[in-house]
Amino acid sequence: MVPLSLITATASRRRMAAALAAMLFAPAAFAEEIVFKDQGNREVRLAKAAERVVSIVIPMASTVIALDGSTSKLVGMNPTAKSAVLEGILGKIFPEAKDIPSDVTAPNFVPNVEALTAANPDLVIQWGDRGADIVAPITNAGLTTMLILYGTEELTRDYMTMASKAIGKPERIGELVEWRDRVQKDIEAKATAIPDDKKPNVLYLGRALSDISASGSKANYNAWSIELAGGKNASDELNGTVSVNKEQIAAWNPDVIFLNAFEAKLNVDWVYNDPILSLTNAAKSKRVYKMPLGGYRWDPPSQESPLSWMWTANLLHPETFKYDLRTEMKTAYKTLYNYDLTDGDIDNILWVKEQGTSADYAQFEAK
Amino acid sequence: MTTMTQEETAPAAHRIHLARQTLVFALLLALLVVAFTVSLCVGRFSVPPGRALELIWQGISDPSRELAGIDERIVLLVRAPRVVLAALAGAGLAISGAGLQGVFRNPLVSPDILGISQGAAFGGALAIMLGIWGFPLIAMVFLCGMAAVILVGLLSRINGRSETVTVILSGLVISSMFSAVVSLLQFIADPNTSLPAIVYWLMGSFATATWERTLVAAPGLILGSCFLWMLRFRLNILSLDEAEARSLGANTTRERWLVFCLIAVIVGSQVAVSGIIGWIGIVIPHAARLLVGHDHRALLPAAAVLGAGFMVCIDTLARTATAAEIPLGVITALVGAPIFAALLRHHYRERTGS
Amino acid sequence: MIGLTDAVVRFGARTILDRLSFSVPVGRSLAILGPNGRGKTTTLKAMLGFQRLDEGSRIAPVIVGYVPQTGSSNQRYRAIDVAVMGRAAHLGLFGQPGPSDFEIAQAALERAGAARFADHFFDRLSGGERQLVLLARALATGSEAIVLDEPAAALDLRNQERLLDLLKSLREPRDKAIAFTTHDPNHALAAADDALLMMPDGQSLFGPVAETITPEHLEQLYGVPMRVVDLAGPTGDSHRAVLPAFAGIRAA
Repeated sequence: MVPLSLITATASRRRMAAALAAMLFAPAAFAEEIVFKDQGNREVRLAKAAERVVSIVIPMASTVIALDGSTSKLVGMNPTAKSAVLEGILGKIFPEAKDIPSDVTAPNFVPNVEALTAANPDLVIQWGDRGADIVAPITNAGLTTMLILYGTEELTRDYMTMASKAIGKPERIGELVEWRDRVQKDIEAKATAIPDDKKPNVLYLGRALSDISASGSKANYNAWSIELAGGKNASDELNGTVSVNKEQIAAWNPDVIFLNAFEAKLNVDWVYNDPILSLTNAAKSKRVYKMPLGGYRWDPPSQESPLSWMWTANLLHPETFKYDLRTEMKTAYKTLYNYDLTDGDIDNILWVKEQGTSADYAQFEAK
Repeated sequence: MTTMTQEETAPAAHRIHLARQTLVFALLLALLVVAFTVSLCVGRFSVPPGRALELIWQGISDPSRELAGIDERIVLLVRAPRVVLAALAGAGLAISGAGLQGVFRNPLVSPDILGISQGAAFGGALAIMLGIWGFPLIAMVFLCGMAAVILVGLLSRINGRSETVTVILSGLVISSMFSAVVSLLQFIADPNTSLPAIVYWLMGSFATATWERTLVAAPGLILGSCFLWMLRFRLNILSLDEAEARSLGANTTRERWLVFCLIAVIVGSQVAVSGIIGWIGIVIPHAARLLVGHDHRALLPAAAVLGAGFMVCIDTLARTATAAEIPLGVITALVGAPIFAALLRHHYRERTGS
Repeated sequence: MIGLTDAVVRFGARTILDRLSFSVPVGRSLAILGPNGRGKTTTLKAMLGFQRLDEGSRIAPVIVGYVPQTGSSNQRYRAIDVAVMGRAAHLGLFGQPGPSDFEIAQAALERAGAARFADHFFDRLSGGERQLVLLARALATGSEAIVLDEPAAALDLRNQERLLDLLKSLREPRDKAIAFTTHDPNHALAAADDALLMMPDGQSLFGPVAETITPEHLEQLYGVPMRVVDLAGPTGDSHRAVLPAFAGIRAA
């Protein structure tokens, strides 16, 4: 376990600026109690803005950092979020994020109550749709908990708004939601023109290296993004996220395959080298892509989702969607993290080296 | 039931018995062949049965041929190794269970009792965590399975001998220990790479079967089963009580451990490529016993064929019934239990009836 | 030949066998008598080689033909299959019985008087019939020694007669060393050449039946008065039996 002193010792200009701002607005912020209803229909009551947040929910760790503009409020995260920090660019933008403890929970969202209490959080963010067993230990320990639900864009915007309120940064969320709304509407508008028979069958594989898993469409964010971008979920007939075998994938014969960003050792060669998968439409037309890993992975809902939608849309229908992704990314990262993306950063995030030769990927290269 | 009647009908009873045995074996073999063939023709990717049979024939007659078409690859690279592996694993597990139940003189034991599966699982989980794959992984799995058996042996040795009950209890201790360590490994494993691999692989599935993996597991499965089969008469002796077995010349302790080692080879090979598969090792021998009796000379082959056929059917269901892969454990219970119940009722009706 | 020389067996503080010596040469038959708990079972186990001797030595062939009181096989083997198990020692670890082994097993069944139910299932036979099959198994081992554990214990009178006839016929060719434990001294008189009396005080008496099976020795053995009785045997010839004095009822 990382000693608390190490977390608080690091000082950065950003933190100083944020602290100054907080002090200026201090009377207003600190004087008010924060009360809201979380997505588990529970009343969440904070005496003041949360200063020590633990996120058992994986993407919310990076969201809290983005909303706060610093790592100072985050005192615990999920090991799966930690790996994203270590593998991706967030660890480069916020080096001190690598030291934030991740022992507060097991990867399967079961909290480690002792580590959790040792982190002394004033707010814990946890899933509300995975049963009471992962919530009760936290509430029984007397910790203020905020429950959120997974699956749709509405829910995502809602819980991000809640989080920004909870940490005392309600002004931050406005532009982020507005950005999401703008991009979503833009994509939807263009997508209506795409006829049904031109919509490719798109398969997203949540796991590939151990067993292979795919998902149905109900309350599934990846399926929703695919549809948003003018595609059809090839694994629509499934119920939830389940194991599938290669024969089934061959039967679906998807036109496009998206690989998850969770498995670091997974890249597009896994499809091209497989005797069965290499014969799918997707492999034959080189439309196999690994989801990018930015400030967080682009598969699940996060603060970078609009970038993910644009990337998906550009790939599914390059003749309809022509977003300048690199520029969009630079703008977004400035807003989200106050960070200037280099071209090298962007290439890393988009896996240009690994899948630069995939169909339609040249559009993402640096000019 | 009187002596007179038995004398009169003895030769007839023997002929009936022999005829029944032959019939049972013929049926079991037929079931296996049918299950095998049907499994190769069936799957989520549609291949007409005629075409599938044609491809199988081509595969057998010209194994070195380049496979270009997707239907060829599906039948010969996805289904074929999977069906073969399922059959070998089913036979191996069933034979192991039969041998074990004989040696322990207890119908409730299964290969899990000795902690072999759990030890092998630990070896595999550890290998996955350390990033070891392929042959070294299988070697680790197998070695840890053997280690479990050795630990059980050491733990149960009192005064230079190991009693049956002590072995069972030691097996429980060791298997619990390995299970706990595997859980611990799951907790500290990398959630994106190792953990899903470990969890999935512990569940037991043939979905990852390739010819390479099948050929790696095959020697252990086949050799172990063959040696157990060669011990079939000896197992009759070992299944008598201790004094009788020893008086007939059996070195019971040493021979029992030989059986355990062979079972460790079989189960270790099976776990290495398909995770923990329960149920087969305890129930198939029972069903075989209901069909052909206790004599291991008939029981072992019957269990092997029945286990192979059953496993092939189960696995084919698992990969074909729905778009998702159904976990093996779910189907073995759902399908096996009613069949076994029917067998049991038939048997007891026969015995207590006329 | 099978026997023990100066055998001592202790269980903790108790001495069960104290310098026990006896031997059964090939061609002779030994009956072992003694009250319950005296160590008959221990002696049997020691003869079979299952009981470690704290002192003393054992002489026995490598394989001893053992006929237990009840077979553990309540499993569905045919009688011939049970008998052929006796051939195990000759077949080695991976061996399978061949035609000659089955012939030997069949011959053993015949000698044991069990040939008529060779193809019946063992678990369907009566207790007496099963015992004959177990004897056949012991004979099939080819051992020159046959040891029977309380062979008459569970049998009714008819079957007792049969068993005694069998023990006598077993002895007749004088090609085996036979030993059996029994509660009934008359069995010793009927079927044994020698007797071993395991006295309550830890001593033992070993010698020909005529010298050992006497009312005095039996009284010492069992602690009840014994009487010699003369009666007319089944074929009219004179028989001598030894009965406890409390047998029967006071005559009017």
